[in-house]
This record gives sequence, structure tokens and C-alpha cells, in this order.
Amino acid sequence: MKINSGRTKAYKVISIVILVILALLFLFPLYWIVTGAFKPAQDIYAQEPVWWPTEWVTKNFDALFKKRTAPLWELAVPFSSYFTADNSPVFFSVGPTVPAAFRWLVNTVFMAVVAMILTCITAAMAGYALAKKRFVGRTIIFSLIVCAMALPKQVILIPLLKEMAALKLINNIWSVIFPTVGWPFGVFLMKQFSESIPGEILEAARVDGSSELRTFTTIVVPIVKPGIGALAIFTFINSWNDYFMQLIMLSSNSNFTIALGIATLQAETSIDMGLLMAGAALASIPIIVVFLVFQKYFTQGITMGAVKG
Amino acid sequence: MAKQPKQSMSRALQRRENINGYLFMLPSLIFFVGFVIIPMFMCIFMSLTDANMRDQALPHFIGIKNFVDLWKDEDFLGALKNTFLIVVVSVPTVCAFSLWVASAIYKLKSPVLSAFRCIFYLPVVTGSVAVTVVWKWMYDNYNGILNTALKGAGLIEKNINFLGTPGIAIWCIIIILFTTSVGQPIVLYVSALGNVDQSLVEAAEVDGANHMQVFWKIKWPQIMPTTLYILVITTINSFQCFALIQLLTSGGSDTDTVMFRIYWTAFKLTEQQGHFGYANAMGVVLAIFIAILSAVQFRLAREK
Amino acid sequence: MKVEYLAYADGDDKVNTAITAGNQPDLIMEGPERLVANWGAAGYMVDLADMLDDTDKKEINDVSAGVLSACTTADGKVYEYPLVMTAHCMAINLNAFKEAGADQYLDLENHTWTTENFIKAVEALYAKYGQTVGAVYCAGQGGDQGTRALVNNLYGGTYTNADHTAYTWDDANNVKALETLLGMDGIDFDASLAGGDEIAKFYQGALKMAFCWNIAQQLDPNGAGTGAEKTVTGDDIVFMSFPSETGASQLQGGIWGFGIFDKGDAAKVEAAKKFIKYMCDSEHTVDAVKTANYFAVRTTAEGTDLSGIWADNAIMAEYTKLMPYLGDYYQVTKGWAAQRTEWWTMLQEIGQGADISSTIATRMGNANAAAK
Repeated sequence: MKINSGRTKAYKVISIVILVILALLFLFPLYWIVTGAFKPAQDIYAQEPVWWPTEWVTKNFDALFKKRTAPLWELAVPFSSYFTADNSPVFFSVGPTVPAAFRWLVNTVFMAVVAMILTCITAAMAGYALAKKRFVGRTIIFSLIVCAMALPKQVILIPLLKEMAALKLINNIWSVIFPTVGWPFGVFLMKQFSESIPGEILEAARVDGSSELRTFTTIVVPIVKPGIGALAIFTFINSWNDYFMQLIMLSSNSNFTIALGIATLQAETSIDMGLLMAGAALASIPIIVVFLVFQKYFTQGITMGAVKG
Repeated sequence: MAKQPKQSMSRALQRRENINGYLFMLPSLIFFVGFVIIPMFMCIFMSLTDANMRDQALPHFIGIKNFVDLWKDEDFLGALKNTFLIVVVSVPTVCAFSLWVASAIYKLKSPVLSAFRCIFYLPVVTGSVAVTVVWKWMYDNYNGILNTALKGAGLIEKNINFLGTPGIAIWCIIIILFTTSVGQPIVLYVSALGNVDQSLVEAAEVDGANHMQVFWKIKWPQIMPTTLYILVITTINSFQCFALIQLLTSGGSDTDTVMFRIYWTAFKLTEQQGHFGYANAMGVVLAIFIAILSAVQFRLAREK
Repeated sequence: MKVEYLAYADGDDKVNTAITAGNQPDLIMEGPERLVANWGAAGYMVDLADMLDDTDKKEINDVSAGVLSACTTADGKVYEYPLVMTAHCMAINLNAFKEAGADQYLDLENHTWTTENFIKAVEALYAKYGQTVGAVYCAGQGGDQGTRALVNNLYGGTYTNADHTAYTWDDANNVKALETLLGMDGIDFDASLAGGDEIAKFYQGALKMAFCWNIAQQLDPNGAGTGAEKTVTGDDIVFMSFPSETGASQLQGGIWGFGIFDKGDAAKVEAAKKFIKYMCDSEHTVDAVKTANYFAVRTTAEGTDLSGIWADNAIMAEYTKLMPYLGDYYQVTKGWAAQRTEWWTMLQEIGQGADISSTIATRMGNANAAAK
């Protein structure tokens, strides 16, 4: 027994050491982004990599912001391009001109927030219906949803592009938002959560004469709230990082997202790692902060969704 | 669940359930049908035609010619092979690694535990483009930090051209994919292990079972649903890997995948006759393989 | 008017997605390989032949006869109205060459060198530095004009046939060049670099020569704004013609001009034509050319003399020495977009030790299939 516990202890110490090393390795890319963003050119181009900036400079950010400009926002009337002669949308508000990278951030935040809100609303409703309503065709819809979950978006790339063109949504942030909302993972997750709603409560509400919508908002939503929280963060992060959709759908500088903007900087003929790191920092730091602030809800949420699955 | 006392449900009640059910489904269905299901069917249809970018008119129906051509297209078969290599390698390693990390950290004190959890989750949050850009620099074969570190440690003598060597490049991509995939499984396993019935564990220990036996006989069956879920999401995740290929190698150095090749065929090789139809045929093939793989996974999990 | 910047590497994907979506721009500034050979041949562009009268043609032909033919299809349609041009060349790090004693192999006066001297220089550099000094980059299509020019010039091979209908990579002189490059210590077929990465490595000092170079790079290396003709560490950069047996090489031209996408709107086409005229053939052309940092494609624009616009810039004036070496503009061969992928894939495979002749045969076969 004693030998065994001694061995266990040694095993524990070793595993903690390995874990710490692994954690450092996982942190390293982020460290490299942040220090790289503040390194002067001679560090960036040094023959031997420089572990710590010899001097902290903001030159890379200056270069990033100097590159291009765009209006800070341009709010178009949705679907307005359908009605104008030259198919260009009508704007009801256009902001002051700023460095394009800011506009990319604004676009990205807008995209992620709207996709998050829409997904949460539609998925909560659909998940509740799938879990608790015995309507005809429910099994078929649910199996379709499960099947579609595994489908890579590249598969439907061309049809989706054609469809967006027909809807005149191409090169418009909505063309990235809509497919994100349509992606069925949220419905799947919310169905798992809604299974736990006790049928008796719903029945009691119905007997009391509560309308369906009222039952949903006052009884269902509070119960599945942790699920909505998890889905919200999940969608936010996914949408923020969904580079592929953005690449296909968005073509003009002022409609870029931050990820697409960085990728475009990288594709240009000359390569300035400092500039790219500044861009990468700008793209990742905001979302990391959001994650750290909400991480408790997030970890709770994803586990609950899965355990019930 | 579907086997509830249906006979007691009156027709009026069933009608009400139908109407309410579909009203609640409606907002979601608009998006799901509009932007997933319809394109899916369009994709299947286009894969049987010679559609291309040039002709706006209706394409010609050419049956399964695209699929026959794909079967002979060595570049495509290479991409298919790489796609499977990525999935076959990354799914089990991600599962095993995250299970090991989770079992090593789940009993730690709460702040330490959540620190570890956060760190392993960070690459997911950082975003594929930012992660790719920084790894590209780290892998650099002239002044990349990785070459310097390996040389400093005496493991290699000459710089390795990580992203420029077939046979190495794909593993470099798998490593990046790995770091961006383990976050969620670790979170899931931590909580699954925390929920394992302690009385069973204690009973087994009293009976003299060692750690390994406790793990395989008591804990493993209880975390099985989580494992299944992780298998599924990791598979999905591995099939989504596009940015890594596009931004690191453009499919060169034997790293082409079907996902990237669809994009390349659709928008780079626009001079090829019927390239849209061809790209869609690749999509259909990929979807079929994914469906088979998912079915196999479910079957395996259920048997256990 | 809205202006969009597209990266050359993925700019065509972007335009292709836009064409698919019916969302292409009205006006585009690009090179003939895309405007004429790709989108023009596919029927997306407006014929601009009516914009060029005999005076215009003479003004352009007096600079270089190749420009107009590059912008014109076989059946006489003009899909690009040219504005500027340059010669793509290579560059060397003069300090490194001097340190290695390799500067004796350079004709710094004329910016030319022979194949023999190139080989000797690389040997000297490798002896001094013991590492890769020049990279045959092939991570993607970015900057592929450099690798094409290097391989073709070394022993006088050709890239396409004379009437631009087929690719001729299996030319014995190309095979010899590839074998020579493969056998040289100090030259590495690097599948992790594309043209832009190679420039960055050269700017950084890791590589001692860059095959992806032109006047814009010479004026502002790596776009970093750290001074003309200098690397990051302050070494001198000298632009050079590609090495060839005689020293008189065939340089790849870059021609940029405007094309108009045909979207069926006559008024917009007229407006776009006016804009082109304003940019390419008016008293404002001087500014347009100077902004682009390239050379004018014509002698005069509506009476304004363009021949001396760079007289005040020593670097530009020096660079004009390379312009007579402008070679055949073969980028208008059909299947251009497809063959680019085949080319860099071929270089990767050869660099990895694949059999040269069979690899060339396969890849050239694919390229020629696309050229039909």
C-alpha cells in the first residue's frame, strides 16, 4: 500500500511538471504574437530570433493603421440594393473616416454580436419545440439537423455564393451572418437543454391559460438560460473566427472582418511580420478578453450541453 | 420518448402541437433551410452538371461524369488521402490527450484548474488566422523560433524546412490543428470525471482495485457519452480545417485537402471546363465520406 | 467611385467570386494575363479597340512593340488599355557579394551577368556563408515571374511557343537549367516561400539574392519604408538582370492597365472609358505613372512628353538600362491561371528529387490541356 501511494505521488508530481510545460507551449504562440507586435524591425528581421523585444515600439501598429482607411461604419438599409437603379445599397448613416483596421473590428463585432443574438433566439425556440412539442415531422427535422452538423461549409460554397448573389447580399456582412445563424449546432444544443424542462410545469402553465409565447418567455427561457449563455459565447467565438465564410462572401476593404484583413495583409507581395503580428494581436486580444470575462459561464455551458447529449 | 401515450392525444391537440411546434421552429427553419438545406441540394444537383463560372445559362446534365473523373484525378485522390490522414490522426490523439490532461487536473484546486482549462482553450479563442500567421513565423526555416530552439537543444544540426517538405508539412499542420482542438474536450472531460459516481470508485478501491482498474472498469464507462460527443465534434472540427492550408501552404508540399481543393477548383482553376460542377462533385464525395464516418463512430460507440 | 485594393496572390480569387456573384467591379487595373487571357477570353470584358487611334498606337509602339500585342487578343480585341510597365528583374546584396569576393562576377555598369559568372558567384557565396544564398521559391504562385525568368534565361529556354498556344517547359535548355540549379550548393528549391516571403528573407539579409524584384522594390524594399536600395541592416541592394549565357537576357515584362467589365450598362462603360482616357492619355498621365512608380508605356500623352519624367530620379533613370531587355510577353497564353499552379507544383516536386523529365512532362501536359 505504501509503495503504491509513493508511486502515485511521484506520478502526480511528474504529471504536473509535464502539464506546466505543455501549458507554456500552448501559451507560446500568444506570447509570440504580443511581443512580435511590439518588436522593432531589427528584432523582427534578426537572423537569430529575439525572445524579448529589445525595445517596445508601436511602429507596427502605426503601420497597420496607416495602410488604408475606411468609414468607421456604414449602415445600409437592409435589402435596399433591390430597389436602387445601380444595385448599390442606400446608407442611412456613414461614420467618419478611420484606419481600416478599426472598421474591420467594428464589422467583426457587429457580425459576431448579431449572429449571436439571432442564433440564441432562433435556436432557443427551435430547441424547445423539438424537445417538448410532439409535432409531425419532428424526427425527420432533427435527423436532418444532426446530419447537417458535420457538413463542412466548403461543400456548399458555390451554391451559397450564388444564392447570396441572387439575394443581393454578396459583399455584405449579412451574407456571413445568415449562414452562421442557419448552422444547426445551436438548435441541437438547445434541444438537449430543453429536454430537462419538467413537463408538469408546462402543463400547469397551459392549464392556467398562459399563452404559448408567454410560457416560453417566462418558464422555458429561465430554465434553459445556462444553455443560452453557453450558446451565446460559442456562437460569438465561432462567428468571430469563421474565416472561410468571410473569405468567400466579403470582397471590399471596408466590409472586411479583422481575420480577413490580416489574411489579406499576409497575401500581399511583401511580408512584414511585425505588421502581421500587430494585426493578429488586434484580432485576438479583444476576443480573448471576452472569453476570460465570461469563461465561467462558458465552461458550465458546454459541459451541460454535452452531458445531456 | 416518441413512444408516449399517443393514442390519448386527441386530433385537436395534435393539430395544436403541430401549429405551435412549427411556429416555434419557423425562425430557425428559415435560416436552416435557406442557407444550409437548399445549398446542399443545389450542390448535389450541380455536381451532376458541367456548371462553370462562365456560363450564366443552365448547365448541361452530364450524369456521374464528374465523379468518374474525380476517381482518376490523382491530385484529388492525394487531397482525399491527406484529409483522412488529418482526421484519423487528430481525432484519437485529441481524445487521448484531453482525457489525460483532464484526469491530471480535475482534482486540482479550483483556481489552478480553471487556469489550466483557460490556457488549453486559448488557441481556440485566438482565432484560426491569428494562430496560423504566428505559427507560420515560428515554423520559418531561416529564422523561425522552432528551428532555433531545436538547434539550441542540440536536437537538429541544420534548419528544417517545416512547411516546405512533403511528409513534414502535413504534420506541422496537424500539430496546429491539435492545439486548436483540445480546448473543448478538456473542459468536457474535466466535468465528466468530476461527475463520476464516487461511491462506486470507493467501493472498487476497498475491493483492492488499482488505479488503472478503477479507471477502465468504473470511470471509463461513465464518461462514455462524453467521449462519443468529443469524437463527433473533433471529427467535425478536423474536417473544417481550411485556413491552415490556405494560409500556410496553398495545398503545396503534399498538404492539399479536399476542403481546400474545392475552393481552389472553384475560384483559381476557372479555365477548366465545368469547374463548378467538378468542385461540387468533390463536395458531395466529401459529404458522403463524412456521413459514413459519423455512422461508424455512432455504431462503435453504441456497441461499447 | 470606390477603389478597392486586391493582393496579387489572391486578387483573382476575389474577382472570380465577385464574377460568380455578378458583383464584379466596373473598372479594374491589372495585367494582360488576367484582363486579356483570362477574363477577356471568357467574354467578361469590354473591347477597348475604339479608344486607340493610330497616334496612340504609334506613341505606345515607340516605347515597346510588345505592349499593344499583349493587350490585344488574336482576333484584334483590346481588353486592356495600358498605363505603366516595368521589367521584372532580380537583386543582389552587394555587401555580401563583396565580403564573399563575388562582386567580381557582376557587371555593375550594365546590371548584367552571365550564367557562368552566376554559378561562380553562388559558389563563392556558399563558400563564405555555408547556407542557402538564393531560393527557388515555390510555395505558391506569388512572384512566379522570377522563377520563370531564372529557369528560362540560364540556358536560353522558352516558356511558351512563339505564337503563344502551348507551353514548352520540356525544352532541353530548361531541363539543363533546372538540373544546374538543383546541383548548386547555395541554391535551394524552397517550398515554404512564395515571392513575397523571398523578398522578406532577402531584405532581412538571410538570402543574398532575390529573384522576385522590380523597380518598386528597389525604391522601397519590402514596402518597409526604411530607405531605397537598402536592406534592413543597411546593406546595399543592386538590381540585376537575370543571368544568361551571353548576359543579354529576356526579361519578363509587367504591364498594368485598365479593363472594363461588361455589365451591360452603356453609360457606365462610357464613364469608365472617360476615366481611362484621363488616367492613361492626358496631361494627368504623368502623375498617374509617377504614383505607380513604374514606367510609362507611351512616349507622349496628348502632347505631354512622358519620356523624361524620371530624369530627376537617379534610381529610376538607372533602371531604364534594363528596359531594352524586355522579352516576349507570353503571359497571354491560354490556360494561364491553371498553368501557374502546375509550374510551382512542378518546382516543388523537382526540388524534392522527383524525376525531372517525367515531372515536367506531367505538369506541362496538364498546363497544355488547360491551354486548349
